[in-house]
Formats: sequence, C-alpha cells, structure tokens
Amino acid sequence: MRITELLTKESISLGVKLDSKDAAIDYLIDLHEKAGNITDRAVFKEGIVKREESGSTAIGEGIAIPHAKNRAVKRAALAAVTVPDGVDYDALDGQPTNLIFMIAAPEGGSDVHLEVLSRLSMLLIDEDFRKDLLACGTVQDFLNVCDKYEAEKFPEEVSTKEEAKETNNSEQKSNGYRVLAVTACPTGIAHTYMAAEALEKEGQKLGIPVKAETNGSGGAKNILTDEEIAACDGIIVAADKNVETARFDGKPVLFVKVADGIHKPAELINKIESGEVPIHHEKGAVKSSVKAEGSVGSRIYKHLMNGVSHMLPFVIGGGILTALAFLIDSICGYGATGGSNFGSCTPLAAFFKYAGGLAMSVMVPVLAGFIAESIADRPGLAVGFLGGLLATSGNASIAGYAWANDSLSGFQNFIARFGFTSPTSGNTVSGFLGGIVAGFLAGYIVLGLRKLCDKFPQSLEGIKPTLIYPLVGMFAVAVLMIFIFNPLIGVVNTGLSNMLSALAEKNLLIVLGLILAGMMAIDMGGPINKAAYLYGTMVLGTANELISAGATLSDPAVQACYISMAAVMVGGMVPPLGIALACIFFPKKFTAAEKNSTISNIVMGCGFITEGAIPFAAADPGHVIPCTFIGAAAAGALSAAFKCTLMAPHGGLFVVATVGHPLMYIVSWLVGSAVTCVLLGFFKKNVQE
Amino acid sequence: MVAKDVKIINEQGLHMRPAGEFAKEMTKFDSDVTLVFGGKRINAKSVMLIISACIKCGAELTIECSGTDEEAALAKAVELVESGFGE
Repeated sequence: MRITELLTKESISLGVKLDSKDAAIDYLIDLHEKAGNITDRAVFKEGIVKREESGSTAIGEGIAIPHAKNRAVKRAALAAVTVPDGVDYDALDGQPTNLIFMIAAPEGGSDVHLEVLSRLSMLLIDEDFRKDLLACGTVQDFLNVCDKYEAEKFPEEVSTKEEAKETNNSEQKSNGYRVLAVTACPTGIAHTYMAAEALEKEGQKLGIPVKAETNGSGGAKNILTDEEIAACDGIIVAADKNVETARFDGKPVLFVKVADGIHKPAELINKIESGEVPIHHEKGAVKSSVKAEGSVGSRIYKHLMNGVSHMLPFVIGGGILTALAFLIDSICGYGATGGSNFGSCTPLAAFFKYAGGLAMSVMVPVLAGFIAESIADRPGLAVGFLGGLLATSGNASIAGYAWANDSLSGFQNFIARFGFTSPTSGNTVSGFLGGIVAGFLAGYIVLGLRKLCDKFPQSLEGIKPTLIYPLVGMFAVAVLMIFIFNPLIGVVNTGLSNMLSALAEKNLLIVLGLILAGMMAIDMGGPINKAAYLYGTMVLGTANELISAGATLSDPAVQACYISMAAVMVGGMVPPLGIALACIFFPKKFTAAEKNSTISNIVMGCGFITEGAIPFAAADPGHVIPCTFIGAAAAGALSAAFKCTLMAPHGGLFVVATVGHPLMYIVSWLVGSAVTCVLLGFFKKNVQE
Repeated sequence: MVAKDVKIINEQGLHMRPAGEFAKEMTKFDSDVTLVFGGKRINAKSVMLIISACIKCGAELTIECSGTDEEAALAKAVELVESGFGE
C-alpha cells in the first residue's frame, strides 16, 4: 500500500489558506469527492467529525491526519493539502497545522487505515520530508517527493511507480502485480485459459492484482516480464506440462495442477501471500530473460541462434555418419574406383551414408522451423519447417512430366510456368541462406496471423493453433517460396553456370579454380554452392565423354575437367577445417557449444562435408562467410595452379587416392584453411557469454 | 527499570486516538517509557512513533519504564492498554 498509489493529482492541493478546522475538513472532503473516492460526502463528513470529537487528529509537528472508515468510501485513498500560513486544528501541542492528510478507508477494509496511518507517520517523522512537502510548488513535485522518500524508507518495494502515478485512477493495472501465474495444459486450448481467467478474477475479488501468462498451443500470451517477476510476491505455476521456470529463480514458486488453478484460485493466491511458499531454485539453468524491449539486431540474433542451436546436432551427427561411410569405402579400396557411388560401394558404408544423409537433409528445415518458433512461438514451428523444406528441396521438377490437359488456362498456365522447375530454368535449391529467409518469413507470417486473429471471439481460440495458423501460414509461405524466392534463385543459378562455362572456354584455369572453390564456401549448399558443385560433376561427365571419344587422360581438355573438380572439392573442404582451427587458436570468438564441435568439424573438413560450417555461418554470416570464401578461393586457386586433379565427385581426403599431385592438394587445403582461420581471428567479434 | 508484557485488545489496534491518549498520559511521567514491539524500541511519549509502529489488534508487546516514577508510569500504561483505551 504505497502512499503514492493512494494519492491522485486531483486529491492534492498546495498553498491553501484555511481559517478554521471545519473549513479544512470541508476542503479535504471536496478533494476526495473530486477524485471520486467517496459516494456521499455527508456520510463521510459525519465519520470524520465524529473521529475529531474523540480527540484531535492533529498529532503535532504541524501535521494532522483526519481519517474515517465508513460506507461512503469507495476505495482506500488519501487527500492532502499544504497550508503554509497554518490553521488551528486543535493540535495536541497547540501549534498551528500546515500539513493535512485525510485518509478515507472503506468499510471492512480491515487494517488498511492503520497501515496507511503507520506508513504516513513513519514518513512524516522525518523533518526533511515535511519541509520538502511544504516547499513543493506543483502537485507533481509533491507526488515526486512522496515517491522519493517512500522509496528510500521502503526500498524493498520499489516497483511500477512510474505507471502508478500516471494511471492511478485505473486501479489495478497501475498497482503492479503482486501475484503472477503461468497456466498450461497439454492440449493448450481450454484449461489453460480457464485457469488464467479464474486466477485473475479471484485476484480482483481479493484485492490482490494477479497477472496470468497462458502457455497455450497458440503460444505464450500475456508474457510475464522480468520487471514484473522481480516485483511480485510469488508465482503460481498451474500446469500439466513443462513451462519455462528458470526465469523465476529466487522467487517463491507454487507448482500445482492446472485444475487447481481453475477450482481453488483463492487458496493458491492466499498461499503465495502467506509467504509459506518455498523459494524456487532452478537446477543449473541459465536465466533466459523475457525483455519487453531489445534492439532489432539482438532480437534477430536471438531468433537466428534458436535455429542454429537446434540445427547443430543434425549437422554433427549426420556429418560424421557420412564421413564414416567414406572412410569405410576408402578402407575397402574403392577410393580410386568408386566414382559417383563412393560412400555407398559397400553395404555398411551405404547404411551410414543413407542415415547420415537423411539427418543432414532435415538440417535446413530445422533451422527455418526454429527461427520461426523463436519469432512466433509454437505455431511458427510447422510453418517454418515447410519453408525450410521448400528452400532445400526447391520447386518440383516437371521434367518428363505431362499435365493431363495440354491447353492450360491462364492461371493454371502461370502456375505451371513459375511453380516448377524445368531443365532450362535452373536449380532452385536455396540452401541454408534460403532457409534463414524462409524461417523469418514463416515467423513473421504467423506473428501477423496471431495479430489478425486477436479480435476473434474466445470460443474460436481452439481452432487458431489447430487450423488457422498451420493452414493459412503454410499456404502463405508456400506461395512466397515457390512463386517468388525459388524462381529468383533459379535465375541466379543459371547465370552462375553460364559464367563458369565461359571461364572454362577461355581456359583460365586458375581463375576458374579460385571462383569455383570460393563459390563452394559462400552459401554451403545454396544456389551458389550448387552451381559450382554441379559444374564440377558436369565436367566429370564431359571428361568421360571426351575419353570415350578417344582422348587420353593427359589431354589438356580432360585435365581441365579434373582440375575443376579438384578445386570444387578443396573449396568445400576448407570452411569446416578453417573454422575448427579458429576455434582452437581464437577460442574467445566462439561459444562453448561451438567450440565443442571442433573435432567433428575437422572430421567433416576431411570428408568434404561443407555443412559443418553452416551453424557458424548462420550464426554470424556477415563475418564468417567472407572468411570462408576467401580461404576456399585461395585453396582453389592453389590447387588449380598445382594442376591437382580429381576424378571422384565426392569423398574428401578419403578419395585422395584418385587425386593427381595429392601432396600439393593437401597443402592447398591446409593453406586455405589457415587463411580462413586467421581471417576469422581478425574479423569475428568476441563472444560474450 | 520495570517491565510488563501486554496484549492489545482494541479491535482497530493502536490507532491514532489510543496512541494519542497513551502518549499524552505517558508524558505526564518523568520516567522514560518504551514499547518493545517486533524487535523495535519505541518511545511511548511520541504519538507519531507509536502510530508508525503499526501495532494491530492482538499484538503482544512489552512496556518498559525506567526513572523515578517508573512504578506509577507502568501501572498507568498497563491500565490504559488493558482497558482498551475506553473503546
């Protein structure tokens, strides 16, 4: 019960001239009436006068605190005046009174007026406080002085004072929440909201402001902020499923079933207020904060990291399984002869490659899904997954497929042309960069949907997460990806392929090697990488054709093909190794989780599994990608300059048996990785944990 | 010094009127009169100090008097509290 919460601007008057005790009483009752604190001034005055008759409330030191507790009072409130010239209020010490606070207490409000009285006198004992109050020129000053001294005397309850002053009249909202609650049930459709409503209503009845956060399937709503958590008396967690409780560390937390929230709200609130609830200590958890505000940059980073941290296990697990497949085939002697089947030449290797490949194939959908989840909460997840799948899969191919009706109408024709890829329109796979775009798209689409659906009646709450968000969200993200982003990526892809062919025709092998290798390390599975890799495998085919047409292995045209492929692979091997080296030499630049992936990144670098670098690139694209790009380009140029050749399309170190000038090839790879490592040391910022 | 434990029986606690009466009566004595309540020591001759202690109904406190007329002061103080200050 703060003094500043009981005072309003309307109930304060400064520099008043009063000539009698009766005039003073009338004046203060006027203030209470103006502020809307009392219903019947005659009844209220009767109470005040009766109290004065049993002994003056002017307790000395120039202070009077008239008070009445009666039925004319709507709510506990204060009125205050300063009387610089003083007024004769029958003070106990016979001195004139110049500071009057009038307390209005509602009937049945038990000890409210005693508490207010006590608090007022505690403040008023301080002579400086009285002097400062009398010196106030404006009502706002007066409130500020009260607030200042109250905060000094009762530092434990400094809370929502700013709003408290502004919206004093709107009762509850302004007073800060004394009890907080989180409600959640497994389905998150009905009980979650019923419990929240029951608790908030009961809180109103008890005069204890309660705020309840609902963790429904529509995502968390009415989220508790750190400030509210810090200021509350305790938290009720009424949930039948896990809710995030690390943020409540150090506060009294009461854990109950969601049903208790619905049926016994009063009991729960009183339990919190009784102070018997034990303090909650989260086990070894990091406090993740829900700040209402945050810079745009830090929020985007948070979303991105949510995606990356969920993607990391897929990359590591899938990547190492795939590398094992290569290792097994290499041991079994297929390194030189496996060709495009390398990694699946033996059943055991094929098993590893299949499982690892599947795990790797969901990594971009997971990235996109969890970026969207971070933005729009649970409903964003599914929509983000679809966006990510569309980014990694590209548009459906219509090669060799005929529509049932050849003469398609305008709209159908439009879809047929833009919604699919044909052999001429280029590859539309956008990789992890496309996945990031898809994740943010999906997140903001669902966030927008949630805003749009906010005005829906409560009865439709259930169908939002079960029908509207998935259906409308997926439709919207599919339209955007298939008709806008993927075709654009197709154009980029075709353009890059044409550029590479032109370079090859001019026989600029070192430039070609530099560009091919660099392309591998920009988007690591996206259109640029795909263009380079496809070019490499395409020229392997060309080489085979040339050989079957009678050319020898040493023919310059055939050599050019193999040199290109070698540059492609070395470019893809640099990023994971370069990053792993940077983790070792510049540990301050990486998070603990990132550093833990050092070994697996070395393995993936050896296995030409560029994806190992994706979590790093996704987390900090602006700094990581230029470093991997330059390192890979350097390796590619060196490899081409040393005339290293490669006849296998995949396999990394495990197919080194097929490499011409293998020693120089490894040197190129190590030099490129070292370049990436040093650049990362220069450009990447230190991580703050 | 003499002291005695007492219990407040006024329904509304030691609010301003009883506090005022208490302080007024106590100032008539030369002895120091102190209320010990909730770990705090309160000068019983100051209305404001009594009020600010927020002593509610049912509260148990100790009255301490020390000085030349301490016996009389304690007797009066206990009488006031136990009579409920005429309420």
